[in-house]
Amino acid sequence: MFELVAGILLATGAVYFVLRPILYPEVEGRGTGNEGRGDEGEDPEDDLSPRAVALRALKEIEFDRATGKLSDADYDVLKTRYTSEALAALRAEGPGSGMRDAGSVVPDATAHPASRIPHLACPAHGPRPEPDAAFCSECGCRLAAAPGYCARCGSALEHEARYCHACGTRVAA
Amino acid sequence: MTLLGTLALWLAFLLGVWGALAGFMGGLATPPRPDLARSARHAVFAMCGALLVAVVSLEWALFQHDFNVEYVAAYTSRNLPIFYTWSALYAGQKGSLLFWATVLSVFGSLALALTSRRHRHLLPHVAGVVSVVAAFFISVMLFGHANPFQRLPYTPLDGSGLNPQLQNPGMVFHPPMLYLGYISITIPFAFALAALLSKRLDADWLVAIRKWTLLSWLFLSIGICLGMWWAYVELGWGGYWAWDPVENASLLPWLTMTAFLHSVMIQEKRGMLKKWNLALIIGSWLLSIFGTFITRSGVISSVHSFTQSSVGYFFLAFLIVAGVSSFALYATRLPLLEAEARLESMVSREASFLFNNLLFIGIAFSVLWGTLFPILSELVQGTKVTVGPPFFNQVNIPLGLALLGLTGIGPLIAWRRASLPNLQRQFAVPVTVGVFTGLVLLVAGIRDFYALMAMALGGFVMGTVVQEFARGTGARHRQYGEGYALALGRLLARNRRRYGGYIVHTGIVILFVAFAGMAFKTETEATLKPGESASIRSPYGWTYRLTHLGISQYDALNRQVTAATLDVTRDGTPLGVLTTEKRQHVDALGRPTFQPSTEVGIRSDLREDLYVVLGGVVNGTEQAVFRFTINPLVWWVWYGGMIVALGGLIVMWPGGSPAVKRAQAGYAVRLVEEK
Amino acid sequence: MMRPRNDGATECGRREFFGFAAAGLLSVVPSFRRFVPVQDTLPSTGPSGRLWDPARAGRPLDPVVAADNDAAIQAIEKQLHCTCGCNLDVYTCRTTDFTCGVSPEMHRQVIALAERGMTGQQIVDQFVHAHGLTILMAPPKRGFNLAGYFTPAVVIVVAAAALTLVLRRWARAASGVPAAPPAASNVTAAPEELERLRRELDQLPT
Repeated sequence: MFELVAGILLATGAVYFVLRPILYPEVEGRGTGNEGRGDEGEDPEDDLSPRAVALRALKEIEFDRATGKLSDADYDVLKTRYTSEALAALRAEGPGSGMRDAGSVVPDATAHPASRIPHLACPAHGPRPEPDAAFCSECGCRLAAAPGYCARCGSALEHEARYCHACGTRVAA
Repeated sequence: MTLLGTLALWLAFLLGVWGALAGFMGGLATPPRPDLARSARHAVFAMCGALLVAVVSLEWALFQHDFNVEYVAAYTSRNLPIFYTWSALYAGQKGSLLFWATVLSVFGSLALALTSRRHRHLLPHVAGVVSVVAAFFISVMLFGHANPFQRLPYTPLDGSGLNPQLQNPGMVFHPPMLYLGYISITIPFAFALAALLSKRLDADWLVAIRKWTLLSWLFLSIGICLGMWWAYVELGWGGYWAWDPVENASLLPWLTMTAFLHSVMIQEKRGMLKKWNLALIIGSWLLSIFGTFITRSGVISSVHSFTQSSVGYFFLAFLIVAGVSSFALYATRLPLLEAEARLESMVSREASFLFNNLLFIGIAFSVLWGTLFPILSELVQGTKVTVGPPFFNQVNIPLGLALLGLTGIGPLIAWRRASLPNLQRQFAVPVTVGVFTGLVLLVAGIRDFYALMAMALGGFVMGTVVQEFARGTGARHRQYGEGYALALGRLLARNRRRYGGYIVHTGIVILFVAFAGMAFKTETEATLKPGESASIRSPYGWTYRLTHLGISQYDALNRQVTAATLDVTRDGTPLGVLTTEKRQHVDALGRPTFQPSTEVGIRSDLREDLYVVLGGVVNGTEQAVFRFTINPLVWWVWYGGMIVALGGLIVMWPGGSPAVKRAQAGYAVRLVEEK
Repeated sequence: MMRPRNDGATECGRREFFGFAAAGLLSVVPSFRRFVPVQDTLPSTGPSGRLWDPARAGRPLDPVVAADNDAAIQAIEKQLHCTCGCNLDVYTCRTTDFTCGVSPEMHRQVIALAERGMTGQQIVDQFVHAHGLTILMAPPKRGFNLAGYFTPAVVIVVAAAALTLVLRRWARAASGVPAAPPAASNVTAAPEELERLRRELDQLPT
């Protein structure tokens, strides 16, 4: 008897649970948010957009060359091809869409149209409008390579530093 | 509790049918019907709940020793240890069907609950496929005379007890692991079908199923290794793989999934091989159902077969229907799967992966071919033939060795393109290591061609793996100035799939070396009276001397034990005492159940196992017949399996959080202008 | 610590204990034991106590003879399929748990045939003649069975050839694309685009 009652209760509960989304769609509809986990914290390798694929390929080419797997000639060919692919992917996505979680400041490309004379660029604030700028007018980073400054991010280096304390780049000897 | 169990089964069956209808309708309807989709999702959860109730009911009956229930009477007895009473859930045909369906519904619920929002459009179909498969398994129980809650017209005093060969710790873990592997393939399959049904055939489905495929690959690998361990310690023939049809059936999906895990990288990087990868997933799932069919039908004779029953026809019908319908669906979607296929060079990782796929599928084909050949032969030439280990060894050892060779070659070739001078530089060290290993072993007196090849190729692959780790670490050390230990750690942590994969390769090499070691197995039989000794010469050159100390008989919980004790020395050095037993299992009333079984005595070290079997006694005296076997390198199988599992875990480990990613800035990629 | 166990004296004591135990038991309850009157030790071979209940130790066995360990006999038996339904070869079946009654019988047949002076192949043929081809662990390499042996190899070779052709075509397709001449400077991009690319790259985990 107990079993029969338990079975009937189980069946009733299950039927209610299953039919509720159909009987009360509006109530259920609000619960959409908990269908499936959000994608925060997902594996970056799960991003299979053309941009991410091309960027990863560039990275991998670099690494394969560093480990000696790619010859210099192959490296050049692949580098050229995948840089164009990555650039094409970036252009296709338009400015402003960085990595999903990058939150980086992207320079407004239209404000500084490309010119024949390469403008020096600050890593954080983009190309400077001044044609002969030596430092970024917004953060003070050194723009061109110079002794005492990091060659990549332009931060001032500490005395006899072997690595940049800001970005970790090795200081050329 | 059998009434509740049966009700729960019926409920689960109806929920499965509803889940399938609602899922497919909800997914295919235009305009979309989110309410139906959600109902299907709820149906899977509810089915999972109902099946869990059924499992609890069955366990309840088992632990209550309700011998009026046919299943309980058939597989347990009052004096069966608790551990094995629990595992009796999947010891028999009926219970294991329930276990299958339950695990599938749990996996399905997890997949529905955990899949990220990006793939939500696939989920109604996933719920539908999971429901169909689960409903099929439940229907076999309900309509195939396989209801585990079936009652007997009378109540026996005690049950028949569990087959002694299943009363082994390995048997408690091996079937569930293997089932987990088999069953979880359904999830990638469901995602693949969902992608085909919804026509969303971009790369998204790939992301959704990659980890599930890895997970079932991992379970399957562990399950197969545990199965080998169980066969070795319990069956007493002194080996771990006999090309039994059921072993083959578990190997088949493993092979196709391993192929998939390699070729999926090409799709991720190059967008090629979409059709191939989908076909591999569908094929793996069909092979897992095929394995279930073989185990349960008795069509092909095997040590594993459950008792023959009509259940086999259900599986055959399901296999055919599922195979035809999924490949028909696949065929209609082929035009959507066209992808631009480009290959920068014939000499590239892509090409080597394709040949690796060829070998995996080739081995799978030859195993399947050999397994089915008896049936084929009967159809074609009217005579049934036996296809045993000699056949499989002859066909598969060369293929396996070729695959091992590719394991070493593939990682040395760069993705996209490679050129000759570079390849020379890449291959120099591994080839030297391989040749050197081969020469050393040749000088050491190993003349078995296959064993020599396996070990030399193993040396080559290890050369490759170590070189990969060394060069990667060196590159990090140079680029970021990390210390070598840190560089190695980060190399592994930040390229888990690549370097975790190399760890799996290491495990595979160890497994191959272990298999090669079995070429040097030595065995002898001897009749010894107490005080007499026998010697056996190990392939390493030393001699074991085993002295029979005597036989004792005593009763244990559910068995009467006859134990023979042997004193072991190696070249005169005492090593200890080995015991091997005959066990006559009895039920609670002292009545013998089953034939006497053998408990093997094993003394292991890294180099070899001394494996002692008590055959029986002569004239009812202590004079006993023994078989002594020396199995070289057996522990390498278990260690190899553990390393494979470890590598698989590393590959599977979830990716870094965004915070970690930001902290990693600082990799200078030179751009073209900076040359 | 293990030495004492090897010591003759203790050993003997243990065995005597066994002997006494068995003898005592038998003298007290002779009606319970249905065996013919037993000697506790076999004549001339030293002590070998009678088991309390030999039925628990499985099927009674005969002492091992030289033919049991004969490599040639074993090699023959490894080609023969045991008919007990175990799916093993005769040698493996008869040495695995010693419960099977079929394989020892087949083993005796093999020995008997060998003693008649037959070669291994003749013995195997004899078994095939008596039981049919199913008795072989692997089908003989002739007729349709050749398909069994060679189909996988043929399929793999054909597939490899096909794969090579397909790869060729793909490689040609790639070289036909004029997108990437090797000159490095051919990438046309504004510096800010390159800068953005570099930033994105920096954000990838290394």
